[in-house]
Amino acid sequence: MNVLFLLVPVALLLASAGVAAFLWAARSGQFDDVETPAVRMLIDDENELPPAPRTKPSNE
Amino acid sequence: MSAASHNAPVSPPDAPCAHCGLPVGPHPVGDDPYFCCTGCALVYETLQAAGFGETYYRLRDVSPASAPACPVSTEADPLLLSELDSETFLAEHTRLGDDGTRATDLFLDGVHCAACVWLVERLPFELDGVLEARLDLPRARLSVRWDPARVRLSEVAAWLARVGYQAHPARTEPGGKRTEAERRLLVKMGVSWALAGNVMLLALAFYTGLDLTREPGLARAARWLSLLLALPAVVYGGSEFFRRAWASVRRAARIRSLRHLHMDTPIALGILVGFGHSAWATVTGRGDVWFDSITVLIAALLTARWLQLRSRRLAGDATDRLLALIPTMVRRVDRGGSVAVVHAAALHPGDLVETPPGEVIPVDGIVEEGTSRVNNAVLTGESRPEAVAPGATVTAGATNLSAPLRIRVQAAGEDTRVGRLLAWVRDAATRRAPVVLMADRVGGYFVLGVLTLALLTAALWLYLNPASAPLHVVALLVITCPCALGMATPLAMAVAAGKAARAGIFIKSDEATEQLTTIDCVVLDKTGTVTEGALSLVDFEGDPEALDLAAALERHSNHPLAAALVRARARPGFDLEAWMTSGLEAVAGKGIQGFVDGRAVAVGRPDWIAALTSPCPAASIQALAAYAARGLTPVAVAVDGRMAATLAFGDRIREDAKDILDGLKGSGKTIYLLSGDHPGVVRAVAETLGIAPERALGGVGPEEKRAFIERLRNDGRTVAMVGDGVNDAAALQAADAGIAVHGGSTASLVAADVFMTRNGLRPLADLFAGAERVMRVIRRNLGLSLAYNLAGATAAMAGLVSPLVAAVAMPISSLVVVVSSMAQRSFIPRPGDEAAGTDTLENHRKRAA
Repeated sequence: MNVLFLLVPVALLLASAGVAAFLWAARSGQFDDVETPAVRMLIDDENELPPAPRTKPSNE
Repeated sequence: MSAASHNAPVSPPDAPCAHCGLPVGPHPVGDDPYFCCTGCALVYETLQAAGFGETYYRLRDVSPASAPACPVSTEADPLLLSELDSETFLAEHTRLGDDGTRATDLFLDGVHCAACVWLVERLPFELDGVLEARLDLPRARLSVRWDPARVRLSEVAAWLARVGYQAHPARTEPGGKRTEAERRLLVKMGVSWALAGNVMLLALAFYTGLDLTREPGLARAARWLSLLLALPAVVYGGSEFFRRAWASVRRAARIRSLRHLHMDTPIALGILVGFGHSAWATVTGRGDVWFDSITVLIAALLTARWLQLRSRRLAGDATDRLLALIPTMVRRVDRGGSVAVVHAAALHPGDLVETPPGEVIPVDGIVEEGTSRVNNAVLTGESRPEAVAPGATVTAGATNLSAPLRIRVQAAGEDTRVGRLLAWVRDAATRRAPVVLMADRVGGYFVLGVLTLALLTAALWLYLNPASAPLHVVALLVITCPCALGMATPLAMAVAAGKAARAGIFIKSDEATEQLTTIDCVVLDKTGTVTEGALSLVDFEGDPEALDLAAALERHSNHPLAAALVRARARPGFDLEAWMTSGLEAVAGKGIQGFVDGRAVAVGRPDWIAALTSPCPAASIQALAAYAARGLTPVAVAVDGRMAATLAFGDRIREDAKDILDGLKGSGKTIYLLSGDHPGVVRAVAETLGIAPERALGGVGPEEKRAFIERLRNDGRTVAMVGDGVNDAAALQAADAGIAVHGGSTASLVAADVFMTRNGLRPLADLFAGAERVMRVIRRNLGLSLAYNLAGATAAMAGLVSPLVAAVAMPISSLVVVVSSMAQRSFIPRPGDEAAGTDTLENHRKRAA
């Protein structure tokens, strides 16, 4: 059972890493808006492509 | 709302607008695809031309809308654009980055779905110099970062306007206090849960058999570790409760009344006793530890608080956003006659300012040059436009309708009538006594009850078994620590506020929700509340064909009555354009005459028409007299020199108004009608709605409205004021519950406790019903948690509560409250309600113009 004296601190270390990640996320505003990212995933990532044609298509 | 395709089988007026999806009505812009307005059509073309159309409309159709769609306008307000580039604005409302870039937040009108997110966030790819654009959809807030050397903020706003979003700067300090407070509480909550989780894991070891006698080293280590973990949870997480409990204890001591102890007092007491006892047990190595129950309690309560805070953000944002709409830039005419755009704060009495038609007059003053009509609806509630000529007085907040005006400034900024009213509202908001919530009222008695039971327990066990007495007293205090009771109100309120917001009702505080259930007096403002707030054809007498002829003629007039007539006659299959008109002649102040399909038609004031025709039929004279008595604006039509029809224009009563008011009366509320309008109009409206004449007052000014509300309150009534317009702001603030209905102006929304974004009175009925339901849920929650506490106290007195029992029973009691709150059915919109008219301030302006 003495292995617990090692394992529990390790577990706590892992937990504090989680808390640190949470603190960073909260402070950088990632929880301020949790709805827009849900719709943002609908948007295709097309920004790497050349910009969309900006001239008026000749439809008339 | 989804069908935007070109081959939609529906035709006007039911066809959806190809851009915004709202029904286009009988007068669509364009022919398949149809649009509801030129704004939508322009945006559609812009998007198609830029190659955005396909993605935009595809995204719009696949994603659920987060807010109702609305018709758009593509013109950015030039005054606003000039403000965005001013040094003052950049200094006050933008953040300067290390690399010379600037960042700010803008509120956008009209963002509602994934397509909007996509389009707005294309900004950096479309405008060189924009580095970052992130849209927060539910709050309609765009964070933008740009390089001032390459692009100006006004260009960003102009681009947004071109694709259909009006931008308004969020004139708060960057960052915002509300967001900060919310983040702080979120961090507190997250850390508390992490600590609670670890303490629970360690506690699990005790519950599964670890004990001090068999494994002394491990058990002692586990206890000390729990203490170490619980300490920050209590000190950091629990500080929220200690601070407020201390404040309430001090106040209660000052007033010498136990009733002023609120819910945080027993919570703090339970935490302190439980933690103190456990810490002592850890140090001495004897007795039980309760660390797990205490840390979970703290984390759960913080969660409820955070949810409550977060649920208010939409209502709070809306207030910020409306403040952002007040014009701060004005056009000043300098001595040489040149016009310069300056900040309103730089104006002095005696300066001359110019206001083009369509803009809001920024100052109180006297017209120096120009003849126009102004709409004072925002200020006085009077929907009829008023003619102004040199020498007339105009007030800030009125909309200039037809021609440019030059105005000599008498007061600007805070000194204007609107400014003073807003300042008054701000002061009054801080003066008003806070309402003590039901849950907090229980607090004092709860403390008293728990302490009595603790004494009883102590006495009982000192008699039975003195050694175990402290143990049972601590068990009692921990198990009765009102976790569920503390969550009962915030959770129910938070869930209800979220549901209400989805139904277009924004409640700013919990106090308002509770107040709403005690209302016994409802005071309604007439304009825009029970009526539609815009002129329309209410009644006519005579030949319907004459009306069509008149409409054909009036199509060429820009008088608001003309527009109302054209609107009234519009129907499918009837095309005004088909009528040939010639020889048009507008007679100022009288009417318009000309030829329609070869027939001589004249439309205008009855006395003018009567002079043109002979003899005037008796039916027409009777009808005209009746209109006048009802306070309507009469108009007559002559065809071929003969009086053919008489028309009455007025502010039409909303269709559902009578039913809803009857419903309110049925629930024991007295209805009053107050209005700045002509007493005759108000009397007529009251009669239609079944309101007793002595409860319907016309010609009431803003100050009198406030005095009236205060008089009612002094008579011991609990009053809800329903209104819009700056003139109602003071009354909204004075009432126990101020409710601003949509179409409402800035000041009224700031002053109100509740505001609604749906048209009509239907949301008002929903609001009262919803508030009742919420309070029922809260009472149910309080009952459940008190029952739990009672059972817990009994068990503790009997000596049956151990740390394990507490660790199981406490979360279960909280869970019951959570489920009960989530399952509530308050503010559930009726099916079909979404289709009902939605409105934006922008539309209201368009209508007013």
